Amino acid sequence: MSRGTTSPRSTLHFLRRHALGCLVLTLLFISVGYAQEKPRFYVIAHPGVASNALPTRFVADAFLKKVTRFEGGGVIHPVDLPTTSKTRAIFSDQVLKRSVAAVRSYWQQRIFSGRDVPPPEVDSESQVVKYVAGQPGALGYVSDSTELRGVKLIALQ
Amino acid sequence: MISLGWRPSLAADRSARGWLRRGQRRASLLFALSVLLVAFPAGAETTEEVPVSNRMADWMPEVHGFVSQGFMKSTDNNYLAQSERGSFEFNEVGLNFTKTLTDRFRVGMQLFMRDLGPVGNYKPQFDWFYLDYRFFDWLGIRAGRTKIPFGLYNEYNDIDAARVAVLLPQAVYPTLNRDYLLAQTGGEIYGRTPHSAIGEFEYRAYGGTIYMDASSNPAIHNLDLPYVLGGRLMWEAPVDGLRIGGTYQTLKLNADLELPPEALQQYAAAGLIPADATNPFPVQLPIWLWVASLEYSWRDLTLAAEYSQWKAKLTTEYPTLDQSVKNERMYIMASYQVVPWLATGLYYSLFFPDMADRTGVDKQQHDVAVSLRFDPIEHWLIKLEGHFMSGTAYLDPQLNNGVQPADLTRNWLYFLLKTTAYF
Repeated sequence: MSRGTTSPRSTLHFLRRHALGCLVLTLLFISVGYAQEKPRFYVIAHPGVASNALPTRFVADAFLKKVTRFEGGGVIHPVDLPTTSKTRAIFSDQVLKRSVAAVRSYWQQRIFSGRDVPPPEVDSESQVVKYVAGQPGALGYVSDSTELRGVKLIALQ
Repeated sequence: MISLGWRPSLAADRSARGWLRRGQRRASLLFALSVLLVAFPAGAETTEEVPVSNRMADWMPEVHGFVSQGFMKSTDNNYLAQSERGSFEFNEVGLNFTKTLTDRFRVGMQLFMRDLGPVGNYKPQFDWFYLDYRFFDWLGIRAGRTKIPFGLYNEYNDIDAARVAVLLPQAVYPTLNRDYLLAQTGGEIYGRTPHSAIGEFEYRAYGGTIYMDASSNPAIHNLDLPYVLGGRLMWEAPVDGLRIGGTYQTLKLNADLELPPEALQQYAAAGLIPADATNPFPVQLPIWLWVASLEYSWRDLTLAAEYSQWKAKLTTEYPTLDQSVKNERMYIMASYQVVPWLATGLYYSLFFPDMADRTGVDKQQHDVAVSLRFDPIEHWLIKLEGHFMSGTAYLDPQLNNGVQPADLTRNWLYFLLKTTAYF
């Protein structure tokens, strides 16, 4: 076998010798990939909201209007982005644990059975910030590149 | 600018959708007038900087609606309509108005009409209307005509946009019984427990009556439904997307039956009734229904299974005529959102009209259904569905030229095409 060519056997030999290194590299790639999948949004609330952190499930139920009040009794006013928004898709996937299409179907059920109506939608993330800053009890989400002014960040538990 | 889709905007809206909103306002004028006295003070509280049009928007109700047209075709047997030759008698129109008057108080109503073979015939009716006051998340009350929360999906039985299948599993959600099972007029208490490590419980209890129209059946007089009572308990487990629950419902029917003269003679000859018995026959029909439900949703996949039994006991002034029947209903269903514009569904549904006798083609109904749902644009959908049916227990002799289900074709195929626009 000439120098410089690689046979399957030599590849296997290389892998055996450097198994630990391969494992570390694989884990590194996975972790980098995972990091890229990390949520790239902030949950924000009106400054008057007492909590600094909320359970993810509570936030999901607030946006699905299964709960309507904070623990202290204040009314929750969730606000959504349009169904075409990438931030909404990520939020829906990470927090509501369902796709935007599934959420849309959920609201059709609620609307036409007379149970409830969906949160208002605004056109852009800057409008989410504006709405949340001006509406007591408001709860919204925006991408991490949005300029935040007059709102508080909510950590998800 | 806040854009609420089809709902009143919080800021002035000069977009192309403005004309639609003006149309909604005209259409909802009647409803708006009914809530005006209560709602207008809320609008009047707005500041001077807010344009007048916005104050109007504050007290206008939300408006939603849908229009559906379907087509059905079967290889044998007529089901729901004259399906063997192909039928377009499958359409629905609905328009609803909802107004949140305060943080706790809402009102709403939906007008609905449909045509499904021999039923509906475009007769408009109030599908639901209610006053809803939510004291807390764990306690709310509703009064009016409200949808019956029977099982997982009864409330959504007529909402095409809310599911993948054209027909929900008919064993548990029979479309022909829509007028009797969909809504009740009375009151409801509802709520859900706060978050905890064991998940949440959602509960609903209701009582009232059900409007039933038997005017098209000359053999039934003085039909009355003195009560319907029921409740549903649903456990939302700590596992995301898992719901387990049960529903129980009881109701009672009273009516006067007019038996054909030949039937009277036969019963008298058999000694079941006195020889001088005459029409009408007052009957009472208490009915008990329960369903156990399981649903699991993970991302774009939803799995559901339900098992149900319905029992009815016919009582007359002649005990020899009394009888009771218990039937069994179940299904298992999966649906998957492949991409935002395409979803698929599959279910197997099984129905035994008489648990004491499951033999015979008319004593069972197996139904395997495959569905495709396309959403080409946000407010429009198209569905295709195919059913393989084995058994004839779903079938009605009146739609099949008087042929009894026992004499109809055992295995048959049934296809549906339906399109719905909604907003």
